[in-house]
Amino acid sequence: MKLTTTNHLKSEIYMPITPKPVWTPLEKPLSECKVGFASACGAHLKVQKPFATAGDSSWREIPKTVTPEELMVTHGGYDNSDVNRDINCMFPYQRLIELENEGFIKEFADINVGFMGGGGIEEEFKNVTGPAIAKIMKEQNCDIVVLTAG
Amino acid sequence: MQRAIESVGISTIIIAALPPVVRQQGSPRAVAPHVPMGANAGEPHNVEMQTAIVKAALIAITEMDSPGIIKSLPYEYNAKV
Repeated sequence: MKLTTTNHLKSEIYMPITPKPVWTPLEKPLSECKVGFASACGAHLKVQKPFATAGDSSWREIPKTVTPEELMVTHGGYDNSDVNRDINCMFPYQRLIELENEGFIKEFADINVGFMGGGGIEEEFKNVTGPAIAKIMKEQNCDIVVLTAG
Repeated sequence: MQRAIESVGISTIIIAALPPVVRQQGSPRAVAPHVPMGANAGEPHNVEMQTAIVKAALIAITEMDSPGIIKSLPYEYNAKV
């Protein structure tokens, strides 16, 4: 069967294209790795400015020394009830501290990041937010970054 | 976001509740426990499940040898709504 009936006909339906692969192989055992964490869940300190739920490409630095009571989420794109009960559902920083203490990883980064996924200006996420968060992780010499999103 | 971090030379993994979205976005590595959006790292206050999911994500980085792999994780949580 011939699938193309008319050449150069463009679909009216926007079809996002999966981008080319990016890949950094891990060269060390986990016990020698520094691990950072970033989440699109909209986590931030209660004293920080909340995210704009209609779309926000900014980010918040979250120190690992905070207590769960000092954290909250602002995100308009998912049911927040679980994460309001326990921030570790989306921002499992206490689990990463425990993994550092037991030596499963070498170190959990001092500064981790919350941002608000699922909305906002895609170009800004790609050109500003992404590189800025990558820089925060790179400057801390992280070997690995774990994320929660999607 | 994950791609931006991976591209500066850091190995990344995402814990996802929506694996098809992650695939479409070109995630280099992903794990997918059976959880609803909003509890990607496991049930609230279930330290055992959260630890297992985070550990499995880290171990998966050491196992995955090419981009685009999404590994299902055998942990399940259904939110009561």
